[in-house]
Amino acid sequence: MFAQRSLKCFTLFAAVILLSTALPACAGALTWPEIEAQAKGQTVDWFMWGGFPSTNAYVNGYVAPRVKELYDITLRQVPVKDIAEVVGKLLAERQAGRGAGGEVDLMWINGENFRTAKRHGLLFGPFADLLPNQKLVNWDKPSVQNDFGEPVEGLESPWGSAQVVMIYDSRRTPAPPRTVGTLLDWARRNPGRFTYPAPPDFTGSVFVRHVFYHAAGEVAAWQGPFDEKRYAAAAGATYKLLKDLAPFLWRQGRAYPENPIRLSQLLADGEVDFAISYHPAEASKMILDGLYPETVRTFVFEEGTIANTHFVAIPFNAADTAGAMVVANFLISPEAQLKKADASVWGDFPAIALDRLEPHWQARFAALPRGAATLPNDVLQQRQLPEPPSEILIRLERGWDEHVLKGR
Amino acid sequence: MITRSATAVSALRACTPQRPGTLVGLLFPALAVVTMLFGGGLALGMIQSLGHLPVAGMSSLTLDHFARVLADPDFFKSLGLTLYLSLTSTLIAAAISVAAALAFNALAGRSRAVQFVFQIPLTVPHLVIAVAVVFMLAPSGLLARVLQTIGLISSATEFPLLVNDPWGVGILAAYVWKEVPFITLMILAVLRAGGAELLDVGRTLKAGRWQRFRYITLPMIFPSLGAASLIVFAYTFGAFEVPYLLGQTYPMMLPVWAYKAYSDVDLLSRPEGIATGLVIAAVVTAAVALAQGLTHAARRRGAVL
Repeated sequence: MFAQRSLKCFTLFAAVILLSTALPACAGALTWPEIEAQAKGQTVDWFMWGGFPSTNAYVNGYVAPRVKELYDITLRQVPVKDIAEVVGKLLAERQAGRGAGGEVDLMWINGENFRTAKRHGLLFGPFADLLPNQKLVNWDKPSVQNDFGEPVEGLESPWGSAQVVMIYDSRRTPAPPRTVGTLLDWARRNPGRFTYPAPPDFTGSVFVRHVFYHAAGEVAAWQGPFDEKRYAAAAGATYKLLKDLAPFLWRQGRAYPENPIRLSQLLADGEVDFAISYHPAEASKMILDGLYPETVRTFVFEEGTIANTHFVAIPFNAADTAGAMVVANFLISPEAQLKKADASVWGDFPAIALDRLEPHWQARFAALPRGAATLPNDVLQQRQLPEPPSEILIRLERGWDEHVLKGR
Repeated sequence: MITRSATAVSALRACTPQRPGTLVGLLFPALAVVTMLFGGGLALGMIQSLGHLPVAGMSSLTLDHFARVLADPDFFKSLGLTLYLSLTSTLIAAAISVAAALAFNALAGRSRAVQFVFQIPLTVPHLVIAVAVVFMLAPSGLLARVLQTIGLISSATEFPLLVNDPWGVGILAAYVWKEVPFITLMILAVLRAGGAELLDVGRTLKAGRWQRFRYITLPMIFPSLGAASLIVFAYTFGAFEVPYLLGQTYPMMLPVWAYKAYSDVDLLSRPEGIATGLVIAAVVTAAVALAQGLTHAARRRGAVL
C-alpha cells in the first residue's frame, strides 16, 4: 500500500519535473519579449570550428561583449576541430537519454552535419521564424532555403554566406590559370607546387566538388533527384583526374595538408602557389594581419565557384535555448552583420538581404572598404555555383579516400 | 635508541595490511574510480563496437565491424606502420636514455641545474612538441632556413623531407625528444639508490667497463628501464596527435584511423572506429603481458635483479 502510494507520488513528481523541463522547449508558446526576458542572465555555450583567428576575435571581442551589454547574456565560445564531433556527442547524449541540460547551446553548422543532426532529431525548433530579424533574410534564396539540398525548415538560422575563391601571389604567379581544367594542367606542368586539403576537411572537400562539376560537365542537373548511374560515371572521371594528378602534387600526393590553415601556411612559406578559401575576404584580412605578402590576390573560376550559407542551430537538449535564440537573432542584426563584413574584422559576407535594410544601413554596408585581395561583389555574384546535395558530398569524400588516397 | 627503533618497527607493522581484505579496502576509492571510468568506458565501447547504436538505427550485436576492420587491406599496413614507429621510437629513446642516465650519474650527479633543464620536456604536451617539430624540420622550417642562409642548400626543395615523410622521421623525432627525459629520470632514480658499492666490487675483481655495465649496471636498471619503455611503447602505439600532425595522409597509424572512422559524418562508421580503438588496446595489452613474461623469465635466470 505504502509502496504503491510512494510510486504514485514519484510518478507525479517525475511528471512535474518532465513538464517543467519540457516547457521552455515549447518556444512557440512564448512571445519574443518573453524569450528575451528568459534569456537574461543565461550563459550560452557556442560550439564552433575554431580555426579562423578572425572569426574567434569577432565572436569573443565583439559578439560576446555586445550580447552581455544588450541582453545580459554571457556568451562562451567553445572552439572545436570539426562540428561533426559535436554532432557525434549529441548523438551519444540522445542515446543516453539526456534530453535536457546539455552543455551545447548553440553550434555553427551547415551541410552534411546539419543533415545528420536533422535526420537524427538532434535539433531544437523550428525556431528561426521566431527571430524578429528573420525579416531581413531572403528565405526564397535557394542556398538559404536548402542547406546542401536539405530543407532548412526553421531548424537553423543563417549567419553568413561563403563562396570559394582561389588565392595566389601575383608576384610569383602573374597569370594564374582561371578554369578548373587549366589549373589541373598548370599543376601537372609545375610538379610539387599545388595541393589541396585532404577531404573530409571542408575546404578540400569543396575543391573535389569543383573537379566533380568539371569532370561531369554540368552543374544544375545534380540539384534534382539522385541518379546513381549518372553519378557513378561523373565520380569515376573525377577520381581518375585526381589520381593522375596526385604524383604532380606537393609531396607527390602522399601527404595532403590537414586543413585550409596549413594550406595557407604553405602558400605563405612559398612551398605551393595556390591556397583555397571558402571566405572571399580572408586573403585581404591575412594581408592586413601581415600573414600574406601585399601582392596576394584572389580569383574565381570562369565557370564559377561553389557558394553556400552557413548557419547556427540549437541542440535538442540545450540548457539555455532562450539565450541561444537571442544570440542567433543578434547575429543577423544589421549591426552584427556589418561588423562581420568589415574586412579588418573578419570580412564574412552577410546572410541578410541588403535591399531589405533601411537606407542608412545600406549606405554603411556600401561604404565598407573591400580589402586589396577581395573581388567585387558583382564578380562574385555572377560566378556562383550551388552546392550539390549532401549525399553527393558524402559519396565523393568516401570515394576520394578510397580511390585517390588509397589508390584502389 | 633501541626502544625507538622497536616502536618504529611495530608502527610499520601496524601499517602493513594483515589480510587481503584490508588492502582492497584501502585501495577501494582509487579502484572504484578506475573501474567505473575506465572499465565502464571499455564496456560501453565494446558494446558499440559490436554494433549497438540504437539512435543510428543499429541495435543488433554483431562482430561484423571487427571483421570489416581486420579484413580491410590497409589494416595490416597501418598495424605494421604503427608497430614500426612505436617500437623504433621506444628503442631509440631507451638507448639514448641509458647513455644519458650513466653520463648524468657520473658527471652531473650533483648538479641540480642540469637535471632541472632535463626535466623541462616532461612538462610540455606532445601536441606542442609536434607543432615545434613542424616549425623546425619542415622544408620551410627553421632548420632549412638556417641552412639556406649560411649557403649549405640553395633552396627549400633541397632540404630532405623530414615531416609527413614515408619513414616517419618527424614522428620519431617528436617521440624521442619527449620520451628520453622520462626514461632517463626513471633509470637515474635506480642508479642514485645504490650500485656504487657493487661497481667497486666489480672493479676490485678486475671487471672491465663493458663487463661492469653488462653484469652489474644493466641488470640493476633493467626493471625500471623495461617498465618505462613499456609505458612509452603503449603510449606511442595509441596516441593520436603526433602522427596526425606529422604523419603522411596515407597510410596512417591506427589511432589516426580510429579517429577518422569515429568522427566520420556517416554514423555507421563509428562502430568501426571503436573496434579499431579496441584492437589498439588489445595489442598494447598483449605487449604488456609479453614483456612481463620475458622479465619474469629473465629474473629466474638471474639475468636481471
